[in-house]
Amino acid sequence: MNPREPDSTCMNRDDAAAYVLGALEHDEHERFREHLAGCAQCRAEVAELQPVVDELPASVPATTAPKEMRARILVTVRSEAQLLDAAGVGADRPAKSARPWYRRNDFVLGVTAAASAGVAALVAVLIAVGGSSHTKVVPGEGIGTARTAEVSLTRRDGHSELVVRRMPQPALGRIYEVWLKRGESEPQPTNALFSVTNGGSGAVDVPSLHGVKEVLVTSEPTGGSLHPTSAPVIRVALGSA
Amino acid sequence: MPLLRRSSVNSKEKLRKLADEELMERVADCDADAFEVVLERHADAAFSLAYRICGRRSVAEDIAQESFLALWRSGARYDRARGSVRTWTLGIVHNRAIDALRRSGTHDRRRASDEGIEETLEAPERTEDQAVENAVSSEIRGALGELPSDQRKVIELAYFGGFTHTEIASMLDTPVGTVKGRMRLGLQKLRSQLQGWQAVSG
Repeated sequence: MNPREPDSTCMNRDDAAAYVLGALEHDEHERFREHLAGCAQCRAEVAELQPVVDELPASVPATTAPKEMRARILVTVRSEAQLLDAAGVGADRPAKSARPWYRRNDFVLGVTAAASAGVAALVAVLIAVGGSSHTKVVPGEGIGTARTAEVSLTRRDGHSELVVRRMPQPALGRIYEVWLKRGESEPQPTNALFSVTNGGSGAVDVPSLHGVKEVLVTSEPTGGSLHPTSAPVIRVALGSA
Repeated sequence: MPLLRRSSVNSKEKLRKLADEELMERVADCDADAFEVVLERHADAAFSLAYRICGRRSVAEDIAQESFLALWRSGARYDRARGSVRTWTLGIVHNRAIDALRRSGTHDRRRASDEGIEETLEAPERTEDQAVENAVSSEIRGALGELPSDQRKVIELAYFGGFTHTEIASMLDTPVGTVKGRMRLGLQKLRSQLQGWQAVSG
């Protein structure tokens, strides 16, 4: 940029508005960003206009976010938090100023990549790192529409959790329900209902498995059913429990 | 029905009293309960913005969901000096929604930036907690409504439609310089109106 009189108008000043609105072409956007570093006038213009653009979302008509969306987000977040927790990160957390190891990009990318690649073994690996001698991971199988699913049931200190990857989302208005089969009797319903993320990940706590031979999952109307209304899409066979 | 543990209910109540910025410090430490409160506070705004831009509920859901998961996974990168949690969150939603719109082709983009799209959106469901937020919203809608229509149009086409200034210029058959000038004038007017309102209310 050529030197200018202090009160002269920068010829790029009109770009500032298009810049904060995200309306510059890609190469223009990059050029203007470089220009900003050397032009106080344009920096001031951007600083003035950016807060206005930040308020534009408030002009949108308010719509309530779908409950299922919130539920799917929380299922993923809780399962990732549990994976990290199972790895024992809480026990030896580094000093506040240091970047925790599990927040390093390589680890987060690893978890994300592993989840999207459907590596159910990650669960076992992380729990092994946790070092609990009471942890048992039982693999399960996906059936029919869920045949691509990676399924595992982890049992730790009397607590059981079903973790799935690459599982198709339930149809609209339906949810996955966990059933417990003891002996030859009909599967018993549980309050363990879950959905999965777009990437097909999900996790749900499973009630006591005492005497249970098989853990089954079916697709049921939202709210769950007392008797299965469709064929199982997941089966985890347990030894004598 | 699942039994809620009292301790977890209590801690949720305590978390609800924290400011967004304090919650984000906990999110950076992988606190899922703190994240849930952030989600409660901003899910509707995030979904509404994605829906306004994309015009389809299923796409808006995907975008809002991806944005919140990005927020969860990158919580440590939030810097309160660079704006509120809400602004940061909605910035992620906006970027992803515009990317999706640009990938989806012209038809959807025209639809999303049509005037009068508000009529196609569902009736809002509001709670009393949103009263203050609604006041801000109606103020901004009012300020946008008072802009000369040629200025409002270029701002909406850019921000909600994802169009570049050259695309807008050819759509409106107007010189590029004029489009940029209208964007600037429109934003300046909005700024002075919002400042005036803040001075009165604050």
